[in-house]
Amino acid sequence: MFFVRGMDFLDRYRDIVPDYEAFRAIQCQPLYSSARINTLKIKRDLLLEKLEADDVPFQIFGWYPLGLKLDVDSPGKLLENLLGYIHIQEEVSMVPPLALDPKPGETVLDLCASPGSKTTQISQMMENRGLVIANEPSLARVAPLRSNCERLGCLNVAITRYDGRNFPRGPFDRVLVDAPCSSEGRERRGPGVWARSSCKRSMDLQVLQIGLLKNALRLTKPGGVVVYSTCTYAPEENELVVQAVLEEKDEARLERICLPGLKECPGITQWNGRELKDELSHAARYYPHINDTGGFFVAKIIKN
Amino acid sequence: MSPKSSRIRNVFEPLDTSWVADLWYSRFGICKEAFSGYKFFRKAKSIWAISDASLPRLSYEAIGMRIMSCKGRPWKPTTCALQIFGKYATKNLMHLETASAMIFLEGASQAVESDCEPGYVVVFYREEVLGCGLYSHGKLVSQIPKERRMAGRGNEDLS
Repeated sequence: MFFVRGMDFLDRYRDIVPDYEAFRAIQCQPLYSSARINTLKIKRDLLLEKLEADDVPFQIFGWYPLGLKLDVDSPGKLLENLLGYIHIQEEVSMVPPLALDPKPGETVLDLCASPGSKTTQISQMMENRGLVIANEPSLARVAPLRSNCERLGCLNVAITRYDGRNFPRGPFDRVLVDAPCSSEGRERRGPGVWARSSCKRSMDLQVLQIGLLKNALRLTKPGGVVVYSTCTYAPEENELVVQAVLEEKDEARLERICLPGLKECPGITQWNGRELKDELSHAARYYPHINDTGGFFVAKIIKN
Repeated sequence: MSPKSSRIRNVFEPLDTSWVADLWYSRFGICKEAFSGYKFFRKAKSIWAISDASLPRLSYEAIGMRIMSCKGRPWKPTTCALQIFGKYATKNLMHLETASAMIFLEGASQAVESDCEPGYVVVFYREEVLGCGLYSHGKLVSQIPKERRMAGRGNEDLS
């Protein structure tokens, strides 16, 4: 079937998602609020003291000391958020910058940057040194990107507006491709995603995603890192994109992603009867029922 | 390069650090060393700051942070820039108590006694910079951007 609507669309993942019934059941449970501590503006311990003093209930992630679960109704209205001490960000959305692992002083490209959660996390990991080029083709989406960078005190970020497939100039030490996708992993944040999902939509996005990832590899220095991520489960937008680029360019390999404390499932190596590259198992799939998060796919590619 | 030259052209033009540092020293008494390690640019009537790194030849939408506007007289610092550089201010700054700080964060105006010179001031609360205020004749007008205000009387629409 080409257009399957609603939750039944999930059934196409029955054979690839472990404990499928739990996966399906958790889609209806809303996600808790979470935030990242912005060390560009405040030390972690001082921020935690402030939250305690202001009676804000929080819990630190088990796998990332700068990640917090917040038990408040409007975390965006917290003084700590308005002053840029924290940034409201979904838990697994903090994974791609950690996989990218940027270092102070490097030159990094975030090819699909807005609204800038990952851009600002990269900037913070680089301690405001070096350069982050945050690319966002849509003018309307540049405003929130700029606003977040400024609120969080990012001083090493410059914004460009190229079509990512034609971003003209490198080379970069690291490139993040957090690609436009069907966003199936966001269902717990804003229900209704499944009604928009279809295989055709995924195939249309795949063309764009392959174009973005190809150009990202072209723009990366030899030995440099490209991280490809989406917040969807569709293999057409994940493993098949990485496979297509690796097949065409025999100049890159996948590195395993492992963050202690956060359980990932391996990327799939078979889909709809088609065998895929074995090394795709080095990519990471994050499912909502396994860590009680949203859904994400992350692949770390090293250019030879 | 003259700081005036880019006013007619919508492009980023490099600025001397000393031109920026002199202005901030003269209004806020911020030492000039606070501005070393950054590059400055002017685009139309805005001044931008970015960490000192070589910029590839690209067409930029933004270069670092917009730190000041020269649209009016006197020049106006942005709240986000004061949150970075304002902590070094030695004059034209004021500390607010809790109730006044909340009014300021709501974006409202209030009567404040201060010996600041009329004009833009750095507003502190509990040793932290909240942002930019406009002070004159015993009145402090909050310059906190609308999207960063706390819900309250200054922006009922967001509450």
